[in-house]
Amino acid sequence: MANKEYDVLIIGSGASGGMAAYTLTKLGINCLLLEAGPQVDFTRQRGPKAAYELPYRGMGKPGKLAHVVQASEFNANQWVDEQQVPYTHDPKSPYNWVRVRMMGGKSNFWARMSYRLSDFEFKGKDHDGFGENWPISYADLKPFYDRVDPIFRVTGRKEGLAQLPDGLFEDDTSPDSGAALRFAAAGKSRGMTLTKIRRSQGNGQLASSWNLLLPDAMATGKLTIVSNAIAREITTDKNTGLVNGVNFVDRQSQREMHAKAKVVIVGAACLESTRLLLNSKIANSSGVLGHYLHDQFYISNGVIAVVPEAKDGKAPKGLMGGSGYIPRFRNIKTKEKNFIRGYASDLYPGASADAKYFPFWGAELDKEINAHRGACIGTTIMGEVLPRFENHVSIDPEVVDAWGIPVLNIQCKYTDNEFNMAKDAVNTISEVCHEAGFEVLNGNEKMHPPGYSIHEVGTCRMGDDPKKSVLNKWNQSHDIKNLFVVDGSSFVTGGSQNPTMTILSLSMRASEYIVEQKRKGNL
Amino acid sequence: MKRRRFIQTIAAAPALAVPASSALAQQPANPQARQASEIPRLETSVSDVAAAYTPRFFTALQFSALRKLSAILMPALGNNPGALEAEAPEFLDFLIGQSPVERQQIYRAGLDLLNAQAMKQFKKNFADVDETQANTLLAPLRIPWTYNPPTEPLSRFLREAKADVRTATMNSREWNTVGGKRTGVGQYWYPID
Repeated sequence: MANKEYDVLIIGSGASGGMAAYTLTKLGINCLLLEAGPQVDFTRQRGPKAAYELPYRGMGKPGKLAHVVQASEFNANQWVDEQQVPYTHDPKSPYNWVRVRMMGGKSNFWARMSYRLSDFEFKGKDHDGFGENWPISYADLKPFYDRVDPIFRVTGRKEGLAQLPDGLFEDDTSPDSGAALRFAAAGKSRGMTLTKIRRSQGNGQLASSWNLLLPDAMATGKLTIVSNAIAREITTDKNTGLVNGVNFVDRQSQREMHAKAKVVIVGAACLESTRLLLNSKIANSSGVLGHYLHDQFYISNGVIAVVPEAKDGKAPKGLMGGSGYIPRFRNIKTKEKNFIRGYASDLYPGASADAKYFPFWGAELDKEINAHRGACIGTTIMGEVLPRFENHVSIDPEVVDAWGIPVLNIQCKYTDNEFNMAKDAVNTISEVCHEAGFEVLNGNEKMHPPGYSIHEVGTCRMGDDPKKSVLNKWNQSHDIKNLFVVDGSSFVTGGSQNPTMTILSLSMRASEYIVEQKRKGNL
Repeated sequence: MKRRRFIQTIAAAPALAVPASSALAQQPANPQARQASEIPRLETSVSDVAAAYTPRFFTALQFSALRKLSAILMPALGNNPGALEAEAPEFLDFLIGQSPVERQQIYRAGLDLLNAQAMKQFKKNFADVDETQANTLLAPLRIPWTYNPPTEPLSRFLREAKADVRTATMNSREWNTVGGKRTGVGQYWYPID
C-alpha cells in the first residue's frame, strides 16, 4: 500500500478540480486527484439506438431520476442514480439536484455558455444594499478570465457592456437573423441589447476538463488520478488542526482508503463539496457552511412567439435561424419597483413549437405543427436568485447513500423577488414580441424548481469577514489554512450568467495563490 | 413532425441515423472467410416484432376508452401510422402499470370520467361515441397550456394522454420503420460499471 504524501490532493475532476490540477502541475506541484466516478470510454459507453429498442420507448423508466428534467431514457445512465446517492427535501419544496460522476464531471455535458460576471455581481450590495459584496472585484478576476477563454476557445461578439464584460473571443461574425434584429429593435427602448451566445468551442465535440485541462496536467508527470474514489471525509491532524488527507471508498471494491496531502482542494461541485465538509465537521466556525444556496431560475420557453412571415415554411432567407442572447438590462440604469437584480434570455429564432402549445388534436394538431415548424422564436429566461441564509443544506441524519455516507437535506425556495422578476421577464418579452410584429403563442412565468439550471452556488461562500463566510478571497478556508474550496460553492452572488467561466477562473487564481504561499513557506 | 426533425429531438445527445444492418455489413460476405475465433454478431429483433403484449393494468372498459382516445388524438396521417397501428394503447397500459400511483390514478380516473361523461351525455361508452360526441367530451383540450397542470381530473388526464399517446406513437417501431428505414435513433448511454 502506498503511503505517499502529495503536495496537493484535489477532490473532483470537473471544471474546478480539473483547472486546479492544470494550474498546479504546470507550476511543478505534485497532485493527487480523486474522482468519484470512472473514466468512461465514450466510444464504447454510447451507441446509437432507436427509441423503440428501449424498454420504455424512450419515455424513461417511471420513477427513475425523478428530479432530473434533463434525463431521458437515452441518457439516464450518465447521471448519478438518485437511489444510489439520494438526498432529501421537503416534499412541498422540490429541489432538482443534477449530478454526474465520471472523469470530467458535469463539464462533459454543460451547455458551454461562457459568460463573465461583472461588478454588478461582485459588488452587488453597493448597487442595491442587499446581501454581501464579494471580497474581490471584476478587476481581480479579469486576468484569469483572460487566460481561461483561450483554453476553452470562447466565441462571442464584443459589446462593451458593463454588466457583461467582453472576453478574449474567437469572433462570432455570423449575422443576426432578421427576426432577432426585429426583436432587438423593439427591445432597445427598454435597454435591451442583442448579442451572440458566448460559447466554449473546445475541440468541437467536447469542451470539458477531461479533454482541455487534464491531458496537459498529466503531461507534466506531476498528476496522479484515481478514479472511482468516493470521498467520505477530509481528515485533520489533531495537533495542528490542519487537514492532512482524505478518507475515501474505492467504489468498485468497497475498500476504505486514506490518501495523504499537505494541502486539500475541494472541487466536487457546490453541493457535494459542501456535503463533504459538513460530513467532515470542519471549516464551519462561521455557521454559514451550507447556507446561501442559490442558482439561476430558469423558464424554458417563458415566451414562445410566432413570426407570421415564417409560417407554412415561407420564411425568406435570413429571417429565421441562429440564436441570440439578451444580457441583463434591469436595474442597470433604472430601478425596478418590484425586484432587485435582473435576468437574461436566450433567443432561438427558427424554433418549432411543441404540440402542447396547440389546443388541438388529430389532423388539426398535425396541420398546426406543420404550419409553425421553424416559424417560432423560443426563449429561455434565466434570472438571478438572491442568496438567502434560509436556503440551505444540512446533513440528513436518517439517510445514507450506497456507501454509507450521510446524505444532504436541501431546503430551498424561491421568493417574491424571483417571482416578480419572472413576471416582468415574461411580460416584457411578450410586449417586445408584439412590437416586433410577432404573435405570442404562449407566455409562462412559472419557473422550474430550484436546481434545474445546474448552477447551484453559494454554500461555502467567500468573504472578508470570517464570521459571515467560509472562505477568504483566495478560496481558502478561514479556519484551516491548507484547505481550499474552488468550485461554485464559493460564490457570493451568481448573477444571471452561467457560472462555469467564473468557476474556472477562481480555481486558476486560487491554485496560483497556493503555489505562491507554498513558495513562501506558508503552506 | 417530420422524421428528420424527430431525429434531432429524440434525445439530448447528438443523434445519428445508422442502418440496423451496419454492423452486419462490416462482416465478411462469405462465412467461410470468417476467422475461426471470430464470434458473429447476429441481428436480433425487439419482442414486438414477434409477439403481442396483453394489456393487464387497465380494466377492459378503461382500455377500450384508451384505444378510442388514442385513435382520436393520433390518427394515421399520410404515410405515418396512427396510435393504434403503433400499439400506443398497449404500450401505455404497460408504462402506466409501472408508474407511480399518482400517475396511475390520473389515468384511471380520467378514463373512468370519459366513460361516465359519455354515458351521461350520450348513453354509451366512450369507445362507442361518434366524432361530434368525442369533440364535445374532449373540450378540455381546448384550454391553452399552462405550466401547472389542471386540477380538474379529466382535464389533467387529457393533457397527459395527449402528450403520452403522441410520444408513444412517434417513438414506436411502426412509426420509425416506415418505408423500411430505421430512423428515430439517438445516442444511448449504456449502464456504467
